[in-house]
Amino acid sequence: MKHDMTFQRTDLAPLSNYAIETHGLTKKFGSFTAVDHIDLAVPKGEIYGFLGPNGAGKSTTIRMLCTLLKPTSGTGKVAGFNIDSEANEVRKRIGLVSEKLIMYTRLTAEQNLMFFGKLYGMDNAELKLKVAELLDMMKLTPFKDRSVGGFSSGMRQRMNLIRALIHDPEIIFLDEPTTALDPQSTKFVRDTVLDLKRGGHTIILTTHIMEEADELSDKISIIDHGKIMATGTVAGLKEEYGTQSMLEVFLTVTGRELRDSASDRVSMKAVGRM
Amino acid sequence: MSGWKVTREIAKRDLLDLWRAKMLLVFFILMPLLFMTMFGFIYPPTVQVNPYSGQIPSQYPNLNLAIIQQDNGQIARNVEAQFIQIAQSQGIFTVSEMTDYSTARNGIVKGQLLGIVVIPQGFSAAIQADAQATIQVTVDQTNPSVAAAVQAEVAEIFGAIEAQISTQYLQNSDSAINPTFALQPMAITSIPLIAGVPTSFEYLAPSFMALTVITGALNGVSTAISREKEQGTMDGLLVAPIPRQAVILGKVAAQTVRGLIQGFLILGLSMLLFGVVIYGSPITMLLVMVLGVASFIGVGIIMTSLAPEQETAQMMTTLLQFPMMFLSGILFPIAQLPVAVQYIGKAFPLYYAADALRKVVILNASVTIIMPDLLVLLAYSVVTMAIAVPIFNRAMSR
Repeated sequence: MKHDMTFQRTDLAPLSNYAIETHGLTKKFGSFTAVDHIDLAVPKGEIYGFLGPNGAGKSTTIRMLCTLLKPTSGTGKVAGFNIDSEANEVRKRIGLVSEKLIMYTRLTAEQNLMFFGKLYGMDNAELKLKVAELLDMMKLTPFKDRSVGGFSSGMRQRMNLIRALIHDPEIIFLDEPTTALDPQSTKFVRDTVLDLKRGGHTIILTTHIMEEADELSDKISIIDHGKIMATGTVAGLKEEYGTQSMLEVFLTVTGRELRDSASDRVSMKAVGRM
Repeated sequence: MSGWKVTREIAKRDLLDLWRAKMLLVFFILMPLLFMTMFGFIYPPTVQVNPYSGQIPSQYPNLNLAIIQQDNGQIARNVEAQFIQIAQSQGIFTVSEMTDYSTARNGIVKGQLLGIVVIPQGFSAAIQADAQATIQVTVDQTNPSVAAAVQAEVAEIFGAIEAQISTQYLQNSDSAINPTFALQPMAITSIPLIAGVPTSFEYLAPSFMALTVITGALNGVSTAISREKEQGTMDGLLVAPIPRQAVILGKVAAQTVRGLIQGFLILGLSMLLFGVVIYGSPITMLLVMVLGVASFIGVGIIMTSLAPEQETAQMMTTLLQFPMMFLSGILFPIAQLPVAVQYIGKAFPLYYAADALRKVVILNASVTIIMPDLLVLLAYSVVTMAIAVPIFNRAMSR
């Protein structure tokens, strides 16, 4: 089945070449430093892979960029707006897809999307059309009147995508979007991500699946212990580390030891993963 | 593995889960300790018999009572003085001497008094003429058990005074004895506050309404917010360009509507099934319930913002609810409690909401009469929300 979705953006922030910029971005939880002075520069219109082992600081960084956490120090700009002082402007321009279903399980698909769309100030008529269009793109129209609680994991993730796209954001954060999906759903989500890029959206992708990072990302940063350990294009990183495998690049940068330290657990608890 | 072993392992796992949730464990232990301490005050294990009277003291000590003297005769003044002396020395009543009946009546409606004793004009003349004299008593009919206690204690005190009058009459009489007067020189008549005789259910119905509405709001907000946190939908709300306060206010509005629906359902059922009569204005009742809900929402938000998960949030609200239910005059009048514990009960907004609702339902009290209760509820609302909003914002974006 040909996957052909159009997600053409019509208005892009004109002032900067970067969709996301951070300088010295830091987050501490008590004495534990989860994110340690990271500098990021995510070009517009690219798929930016943000990789790291468990407890590395990926989710904390994403949550700061999405304005769900306040940074301890440093600055961050998303779509040209400061994540701390202009948080609402940032929120208008971003969408978040996490591995959790961000939907009300008792409400129907349509009811959920209408609710979330209204939070972005969309009027009823425009919203109804948009919801119908996106449900159709995601092959969920036959299920629009069913409770989301009964959806499969693949359907739920497609709902998450619709919710994140409903207000046509410039930047989309995909936090492990294909975890626990079946191969068909995984392919669908990955094809959708590529369509989004073709439409001019900027995508930040966090994933543990190296093949996914390899296939989708234009540029990658690897984070570990709260610090950026490596940044570059997929090809560039492979050349730098003398391997054709993104997994080998990752393991070389972050090490091969299992991650069971207390600091990892503190970090994961702090971002609500535990 | 046998069925019993599996059962044992599952039980062990569940208990281990509790052990590892430290905040939940603290409240789990606090709850029974608090309840038993509370019950120990409400129902003390030993009853102290009054060493002078040999009586078990009334379960309602030091009730506030007004006495109005409308007769200037010496006999009336003597009877009044004796009544006050007996009532106060035995700790039965705290007596205020008043001159105007309607002021005293308002005192009952406002909750400042539990009864009025009137020694009417003509009392002394009747006693001097060996004719039965009348004492008039008005009690707080919104509170049938306290009303009965007041009437019984007043009757007992006047019974003692009456016995002295009878004895004196029999000793001093040198003409034909009037047997009616000898047996009962005084008769107590009741001046009702309202038409009809409210039952205990009419005390309970508005109390349960207040309890349902307020605890519904407390639990509802707490559950609603903590469920959103656990499900992940809170992220969906917080990542949207909306004011943080709108999240709380939206939850508050929904829980308020839910609480009001339940409250009016209780009222409707009370009227249909148990014949409860509503004397007051439904609009005034609505105002009391909305303020009652508002007074507790802030507390619910604070608890859920601090609790790491839904189960702990629920236990925290339960820990608050049960003492509140027993100490706020919902199930029984707080006059029954030790004075120190009464002050604790009056620290809960539920006391004021239930009190105001009872006055509206039974006494047709106006907004002016229940204004003190409404102001307390309003103050609670403002203060708790002022604390809750920043705590919620910080908890959501720490």
